[in-house]
Amino acid sequence: MLVKIGIPRALLYYHYFPLWECFWGHLGLEVITSPPTDKSVLDRGVIAAAPETCLPVKVYYGHVLALAKAVDYLFVPRIISAQKGTYICPKFMGLPNMIKHSGYDLPPLISPTLDTNRGKKSWQRAHIQAAQGLGYNKKKALTAWRYANYRLRLYREKLQQKRTPLEFLNHDHSLPRSFTSPTILLLGHPYNLFDEFTNMNLIRQLYQYGYQIITPEMLSPVIIEREATQLPKHLFWSLGRTILGTAFHCLKNSPVVGVIHLTSFGCGPDSLVGELLERRVNKLSNLPFLLLTLDEHTGEGGLITRLEAFLDMIEWRRSS
Amino acid sequence: MQAYLGIDLGSVSTNFLVLGPNSAVLAHHCLRTQGDPITAIKAGLTQLKKQLAPGVIICGAGSTGSGRHLAGVMIGADTVKNEITAHGIAAAHEIPAVQTVLEIGGQDSKIIILRQGMVTDFAMNTVCAAGTGSFLDRQAERLGLSIEHFGQLALESKNPVRIAGRCAVFAESDMIHKQQLGHSMEDISRGLCQALVRNYLNNVAKGKEILAPILFQGGVAANRGIKQAFEEALEQEVIVPKHHAVMGALGAALLAKQTVSRKKKSSFRGFEVSHWNFKVRTKHCNGCSNTCEVVKITAKGQILACWGDRCGRWSADPLVNRLNA
Repeated sequence: MLVKIGIPRALLYYHYFPLWECFWGHLGLEVITSPPTDKSVLDRGVIAAAPETCLPVKVYYGHVLALAKAVDYLFVPRIISAQKGTYICPKFMGLPNMIKHSGYDLPPLISPTLDTNRGKKSWQRAHIQAAQGLGYNKKKALTAWRYANYRLRLYREKLQQKRTPLEFLNHDHSLPRSFTSPTILLLGHPYNLFDEFTNMNLIRQLYQYGYQIITPEMLSPVIIEREATQLPKHLFWSLGRTILGTAFHCLKNSPVVGVIHLTSFGCGPDSLVGELLERRVNKLSNLPFLLLTLDEHTGEGGLITRLEAFLDMIEWRRSS
Repeated sequence: MQAYLGIDLGSVSTNFLVLGPNSAVLAHHCLRTQGDPITAIKAGLTQLKKQLAPGVIICGAGSTGSGRHLAGVMIGADTVKNEITAHGIAAAHEIPAVQTVLEIGGQDSKIIILRQGMVTDFAMNTVCAAGTGSFLDRQAERLGLSIEHFGQLALESKNPVRIAGRCAVFAESDMIHKQQLGHSMEDISRGLCQALVRNYLNNVAKGKEILAPILFQGGVAANRGIKQAFEEALEQEVIVPKHHAVMGALGAALLAKQTVSRKKKSSFRGFEVSHWNFKVRTKHCNGCSNTCEVVKITAKGQILACWGDRCGRWSADPLVNRLNA
């Protein structure tokens, strides 16, 4: 029987799923990804997680618990940095510890430390070591890594053709989008943007209201980095840096009609980045700006009211 | 006489307004929703009918507020609009030059920024209801005062006490403490008004450019203590429009007028809906693990609308779609 490894469909899964699924799959493990977030995943996560964490981390717990009984190993990487000189949020660094000590009966965790600051090949080394820990030889692991990396590159290239991870994750190509409709710049962390349960189908709703979107995933990292270096001070939160870089580029170069910043309640970095973003958007443009904060509410009312008022603002301007 | 009806179904109060030719307000009515919006709408419509002169014909209807969809389905609204846009439109109608709207309702508070008659920015309170009407209601009740009397009392204070307004729970304990120390009711009332205003300006209006003319609307605008506290904090005049409590309904009526002039025909069901027997049933959909709470509204043996589902399985009903269009 194949060894089963579980990958929680949460946090940076949306950025790296081709890498992780292909890496473990190529080695010959059976990769089991947790189902998309639903009410039971959220409810379990909220109960299990430490109370002071943010919504995405709570959701992560829910996905871990959804996999716990079904797999032999759980893949919970310790992501410190994905780009030299920057850091992912500290909660990602402590994630394996938080999960391990949650008090639940969990399969062993596979937690490579992924830190680009420790050298360009840190991610590769850590993945290979993790594979070796499961008894795979180095050569085989390297082949798997190269293949997985290639798949990740393909995925990113496709995203840059104005596609969203939703199309790849749900195998749903029927999203009613149109390339001629007005564009809204939708900024936020990937796990907020593409978890359709916690964000109450925000992207789908925007499509249905007749808009298309640009997200940070659709731009080349080179462009984002070039724009982000224009900040007067080095911003070391990589996700925040991506958001700002994207905003700077799109405000200058794309015919955007409005900006939405989607964030989750209790996000530390966003409390600063969001403020910076709003000020910059107001300075660089006079576009309508909407801050949407997600929390554990499952009622859509608040979100819809704000979204509708925001779209009214856009319509109003376009028609006058 | 042609007239347009606007209904603002809010969490705490339900407001009605009938707008006649030349923007004359022919009738308006406010009542407490008291957790039963259907009864509130029926009762309100009955009241409104009595106020209207014979010969007034409702040519269009609009709904807004957190219960706008329910209200819209019940009356057959021509337009169902969010309360931010509705309030913005009503404010710009009242005073065309308005640049800032402060709105404090039963359970939410918002700020709307307008420039050249267009809404350019807005914000709403998030998880906290500390600065809203229900909080004031509760504190007035605790002090044994009617809500109207409470605002008046604040105006008589010479030395307001400082009350922590950051959180409703702390504000309450702080107030009890100040009472125990023997401060006068006047000073506590005014302190509470200032705390509420401080909280509003720090949380809801955070970072917004508040320019005159400033309109203060919503149920809480009736409270003269709060108005005064706003004027002190902003060092500017704050205007409370005549129909401050029904501005949302006014906005809905104005929007209905606009919509009907475009589509030429109204879907308003008439005042007789106040005699209809509306049934609302909630069911947990078992289609997937989200187990959405689906609400189904029926009247006269017909399903009028469904909502509450995430996937659209129940709500993808043509009637509802027509309504939202």
